[in-house]
Amino acid sequence: MIRKLIAAGLAGTMLVGTAAFAADYPDQAVTIIVPSKAGGSTDTTARIFAEVAESKYEGFEFVINNMGGSGGQKGFEAIARAEADGYTIGMNFTPQMVAHVVSGRADYTLDSFHIMGNVAQDAGIVAVPKDSAIQSMAGLAEAAKGGDLTVSVNGIGSDDFLAAKAFEKQAGVTFNLLPTKGSTEQKAGILGGHVDAAFMNLSQMIAQHNAGDARIIAILTEARDASADQIPTAKEQGFEVYMSATRGFVAPAGIDAGIQSKLDAMLADVLADPAFKKKTAASKIALLPMSGPDYTAYLQQLQAETQEVYDAAPW
Amino acid sequence: MEYLSVVFTLPALLTILIGTFAGVVVGGMPGLTATMAVGLLVPFTYTMDPTLGLMLLGGIYCGAMYGGSIPAILLNTPGTPAAVATAIEGYPMSRRGEGGLALKTSVVASFTGGTFSVFILLLFAPLLARQALNFGPAETFLLAIMGLAGIISIADENTSLIKALLSGILGMIIAVVGTDDMSGSLRYTAGLVELIDGVDFMPALIGLFSMIQMLELAGQRDHAPIDTSALGGARKRAKLPKGIGKFMALGSGTGTVIGILPGEGATIAAFISYNFAKQVSKAKAMFGKGNPEGVAAAEAGNNGCVGGSLVPTITLGIPGNSVAAALMGAFIIHGMIPGPELFTIYADRTYPFILSMFVANVTFLIIGLAFAPYLARIALIPPSVMVPVVCAFAVLGSYALNQSVFDIYLMIAFAVFGLLLKKLGFSLEGLILGLILGPIAEGGFSQGMIIGKGSPTIFFQSEIAKVMWLIILVLLLPPLVSHIRRLRGTKAR
Repeated sequence: MIRKLIAAGLAGTMLVGTAAFAADYPDQAVTIIVPSKAGGSTDTTARIFAEVAESKYEGFEFVINNMGGSGGQKGFEAIARAEADGYTIGMNFTPQMVAHVVSGRADYTLDSFHIMGNVAQDAGIVAVPKDSAIQSMAGLAEAAKGGDLTVSVNGIGSDDFLAAKAFEKQAGVTFNLLPTKGSTEQKAGILGGHVDAAFMNLSQMIAQHNAGDARIIAILTEARDASADQIPTAKEQGFEVYMSATRGFVAPAGIDAGIQSKLDAMLADVLADPAFKKKTAASKIALLPMSGPDYTAYLQQLQAETQEVYDAAPW
Repeated sequence: MEYLSVVFTLPALLTILIGTFAGVVVGGMPGLTATMAVGLLVPFTYTMDPTLGLMLLGGIYCGAMYGGSIPAILLNTPGTPAAVATAIEGYPMSRRGEGGLALKTSVVASFTGGTFSVFILLLFAPLLARQALNFGPAETFLLAIMGLAGIISIADENTSLIKALLSGILGMIIAVVGTDDMSGSLRYTAGLVELIDGVDFMPALIGLFSMIQMLELAGQRDHAPIDTSALGGARKRAKLPKGIGKFMALGSGTGTVIGILPGEGATIAAFISYNFAKQVSKAKAMFGKGNPEGVAAAEAGNNGCVGGSLVPTITLGIPGNSVAAALMGAFIIHGMIPGPELFTIYADRTYPFILSMFVANVTFLIIGLAFAPYLARIALIPPSVMVPVVCAFAVLGSYALNQSVFDIYLMIAFAVFGLLLKKLGFSLEGLILGLILGPIAEGGFSQGMIIGKGSPTIFFQSEIAKVMWLIILVLLLPPLVSHIRRLRGTKAR
C-alpha cells in the first residue's frame, strides 16, 4: 500500500514537473551550475546568493552543482544543454566563457544563454616585486623595450593574457610572456622575484600588496577600486587598458518568459539586499551589479575584442 | 597559553575528532581525496564558528594524509597517490602476515611526520616562507627530476631497469594529453571536453592499483594463504623494528621541506623520502619486498607535507599544494586573508587552528594504534567478498572525483592496459610516477627556459639548484653502479 502511494506520488510529481508554468513555479529545487570547484570565489558568490534568495523568497530552494575544470567549459556546456524549464541556471565568468567560443572549442555560443545579469568583478591589476625599479605603467613600458622583460599571466586566453596583449599593443612593446598554471605560481614568481611583472586580479594580490610583499602599480578598471583607492588606474597613467574578471548569472535560452522574468527580478532584488552586500563584503567579493541587457552587451563586446586578439595570435 | 585553552574545550575537541576520523575514512577510500573533502566542506564552515570550521578542515587534512596508507598496506590499493610508495613496502609485509606491524609503523611514522611539521609551522613559519620563495620554476623542475629518480630505485630483480624507465616514460607520454599551458593549444584530446585538463591521475591510480589487484586476486586459481601465524602476535604487541626512528626522522624532515615549497605535493615528498631511505638503509636488498623502513620514511614524508604546505599558505597566501589551496578558501571566506594579519588581528583563530593539528595527529595515532590489529584482518577477507566490494568502490570513487562517467571508463582502461603491462614485467609505480611528475617537470622546464630567455644555464645557476643536482647524482649513481655490476656479474657467469 505504502509502495503504491509512493509510486503514485512520484508519478504525480513527474506530471507536474513536465508542465512548468509560471503560476506554480517553483515546485522543486532550482539547480545552480557553478563551473568551478567548491570553495572558490565564484562558488562562494553562488552560495551567498542562494542563501539570501532562499531567505527572501519562500518556496525557493537552490542546489549548487559544482562542475569544475577545463576553464569552466564543462560547466558552461552543461548550462547551455540544460532543459529550459527554469530549474537549472548557472554562473558564468569572463573572459573564459567567450574565449572558449572564440577559440572554436565550445559547442555553445552566447545565444545559447539568456544572460540574467552580472554580480561581481575581480579587477585586473599589474604587480611587480616589492624592490622592483618599475614604479608605474610608463616604467613598465620603458623596461619592456628590448623584449626581454618576463611577465607572467594566468594561462593563455585568460583575462590576464588578454590584458597583457592589450598593453603590448598600446605601448608598442613585446613581453617575454610566461604562462602559468594559476595565481599561486604567479604569486610565488612575484614574491620570489623570479619574474619582472605579472598581470593578475586584485583579489589575488591585494593582501600581499598591503603586507608590502609585492607592489601593485596599476588597476585595470575605469575608476579606482573602493577597497584599494591608493592604487592608480592604468587610464590615469595614460594607458587605456581595461580588464576585469566578471561573474554573473545565466540561464539556458528559451525558458518561459514568465518564469525567466521572475528569476531576473529575483537576481536584481538579491543584489540590492543589505544582507547580500554584507556577506559578499566579508568574503572580499567586489560587487558590480549589471542588468541582463547591459551584461549581454558587455559580453558581446568582450567577445569581439577577444576575437581580435585571437585572430592576431591564435592559441 | 590562552590559545591552548581554546583547543581544549569540548566543542573544539569534538570537532577535531570528527574531522580527523572523517579524514582517515576519506583518505582510505580510493577516489575520495583530502582536496575534495576540504573543498566540499569549505562552504559549510561558512555558517560555523571560524575557528571550529578551520579545526574541522585541519583535522580532515591530517587524517586523510594518514588514511591513504591503510588500504595501500592491506590491499595494495593506495587511497591517495602519496601512499603509492607505502604500498610498495606495506603490501608485501601484509602478505607475510605482518600487516599489523606495517599499519603500526605507518601510523607512528605519520604521527611523527605530522607533528614535526606542525611544530615547524608553529615556530618558524614566516622565516621559512621567505626562504621557500627562492625556489623558482628551475628548481621545481629539478625537484620533479628528483622524484622521477625514484623510478631507478623501483627497478630490482623483478623489473629490469629498462622496463622501469620505459614505464616512467609511458606515464609521462600519457600526461602529455591535455592543454599545453605554454601555448594554450590542445594536445591529443580527441575533441573530448573531459581531456582538456589532461588525464586525471586519480582514475589512473584506482585502475592501476585497486582494480588490477582485484583482477589478479580474482584470477588466481589457488589463493596463496596469508601467513596468519604472525597475526596472533600482532594482537599482542608487535614491536616496531629497531632503528626505524632514523627513517621516520628522515621522512619528517624531507616531507616538511618539500611541503614548504610552493606548489609541491605529498606524492613527491613520499617518493623522495622513500628513495632517501633506500640509499641510507643497511637492508637495501629488502626494499620492494616489505621493508618497514620504506613504510616509515614514505609515511613520515607525506604527513610532513601537511604542516609544511601550510607555511607559505598562511604567511604569504601561496598554497603549498591543492589541499592547502582549498583550506585557504576557508580562511578567505571568514575574512582572514593570509598574511601578517593572521598572526596579529586573527591570532586568536590562527594559533588555535595550528595547535588543533597537534590534537588531530594524536587522534589518528590513537585511532590507528587501536584499530591496527583489527584492520590487519581485512587482508584475510576471502576474495569472493573482497573483489566485488572493492571493485564497486573503485567505480564509485572514479565517478565521484569529477562526477564524470568518462573517468570510470578511463579507470577501466587503465586497469586493462596496466594488467597487460604488469604481466609483461613493467612497473606500474613507474607509470604513475611519470604520470604525476611528468607535468610538474614539464611546467618547471618550460617556465625555466622562458625565464632564462632560452638558455638552459638557469638550471645550474642558483645555490639551491647546485645542491639539488648533487642530490640527484647521489640518488642516481649508486643504483646505476650496482645495476652495472649485476649485469657484469651475469655476463661473467
